[in-house]
Amino acid sequence: MQLFRLAFKNIRGSGFRSIAIFLAVMGVAGFLLMTTIIIAGARYSLDTGLERLGADILVVPKGTEVKIESALLMGKPVDAWMPRSNLEKIAAIPGVVAASPQIYLMSMFDSPCCAVSEMFMVVYDPDTDFTIAPWLEKNLGRSLAPGEVIGGTYVFVPEGEEYITLYGYDTDLVGTLEPTGTGLDQTLFMAMDTALEMSRLSVTAALMTLNVNPDLISVIMVKVDPEVDPHRVAIDIRQNTEGMTPLESPDLFGMFRSQMNGLLWGFFAITLIVWAVTMILIGIVFSMAANERRREMAVLRAVGATRNFIFRSVLIEAALLGLGGAVMGIALASAVLYIFQDMIAGSLQMPFLFPSIPAFVSMFSAGVILAILTVTAAALIPAFRLSRQELAIAMRE
Amino acid sequence: MNKFFGITLIVIAIAIAVVPAFTDCQSQGKALTTASGKEIPMKCHWSGIAEIGVAVPLAMVGVMAVAIRRKQSLMSMGILGVALGGLAIAFPAGLIGVCQTPTMICHTVMQPTLVSLGSVAIIGSLGIILASRKVKD
Repeated sequence: MQLFRLAFKNIRGSGFRSIAIFLAVMGVAGFLLMTTIIIAGARYSLDTGLERLGADILVVPKGTEVKIESALLMGKPVDAWMPRSNLEKIAAIPGVVAASPQIYLMSMFDSPCCAVSEMFMVVYDPDTDFTIAPWLEKNLGRSLAPGEVIGGTYVFVPEGEEYITLYGYDTDLVGTLEPTGTGLDQTLFMAMDTALEMSRLSVTAALMTLNVNPDLISVIMVKVDPEVDPHRVAIDIRQNTEGMTPLESPDLFGMFRSQMNGLLWGFFAITLIVWAVTMILIGIVFSMAANERRREMAVLRAVGATRNFIFRSVLIEAALLGLGGAVMGIALASAVLYIFQDMIAGSLQMPFLFPSIPAFVSMFSAGVILAILTVTAAALIPAFRLSRQELAIAMRE
Repeated sequence: MNKFFGITLIVIAIAIAVVPAFTDCQSQGKALTTASGKEIPMKCHWSGIAEIGVAVPLAMVGVMAVAIRRKQSLMSMGILGVALGGLAIAFPAGLIGVCQTPTMICHTVMQPTLVSLGSVAIIGSLGIILASRKVKD
């Protein structure tokens, strides 16, 4: 207790030095946590998006792989088509448990219905679907009726209206999916009969016709037998079919992942270098302070304080400054990131979802522990020198 | 210490008044078009106007905190500052709100900035209340 009281008094007694160390720790700890949260948030977003897709393999028309990936990632509508007959070929591949087609459509440009200028619309087949159906079963307890749709978190009914009007057709938004941070948040899901009715009505009720041809599909969602290696099935699809490319779920967004990792780990490395330099500077500050406090510590020794007491009091002072600076910096950085997450994700052009509470708490704790350990380590040599100084020499100086 | 908090509140008040002018949808040339073809400002614009109504008394609180020396008056100013900071947050966050589209600038920039500024105003005002306890009448 005495040690803590002495450390607090030392901190208050040397205000400028303490504030400088506090601010330095606050800045680097906040910046380190910010980059860590952005990396973790982007990964969390991609993983949640993949989970939402719910397929082991996506089979797409050859040459449209990148377009489809960016459609799913950023919600940009895509024009990709292949014959529906491909579905039978895929379903016949050994190891495929279920294969369901989806059609990718887009809303009219700058339509007042939508959160974005071009909304991504996904049409699924209720008879074979295994991606949307579990969500519907869990949340609605039934499948979608004609005219009913569900949407990502960015899809909403315009204020003062009851329906979302698409191509002159009123759709009823009956559910909103949990946020993923990816393009799926601005995606509208509807059953095939709704899309066909919308297409039929668009000829007379809309400025632009929506073409939905039931014989053409955009992708095939594939579910693989749990006992079979999905990679093996993907190879079979590649070897035994033409005009189609299988995208394995873990490899989806692969190019984006590697670009993002390169960029963000670069930031992370810079932050670590800054951290190391800051700790060296803090060590120098403590060394300078140690020189100034030689007589003060000698007096303490003269009134009975042990070498160990002096050593620990300096380390506790450093640890308290590390703790305070890290908690303040990390809390501030987290608040800024949480409040401005849409703007940051938008300006970095990447999917982002604020990490889950347990993940955030562990990052927060790790940041604080790292700060305490490194600041204490920075003060280790000055503390050792102060505790080992010769009493008589220090008193005489 | 009250001078520091007072000046902080004045700066925050100016920011609260100015930020919406550059970050609402109207500043980006976006407006609602009625059936008659008339263009009217979106919801976020009215939040921005209301923020001016918050910023002016908040700036006055800041000026008073710098000038006043009486403990009770400083405490009253602090309480008023907390209420005004709360209102600065409440207008874009709920009382009036911002546009519905989550990708619009009022959603991504204006609202979070005003929430941050309102929070700082509350912290500054709490600082005035705490600092006023040490003032001797």
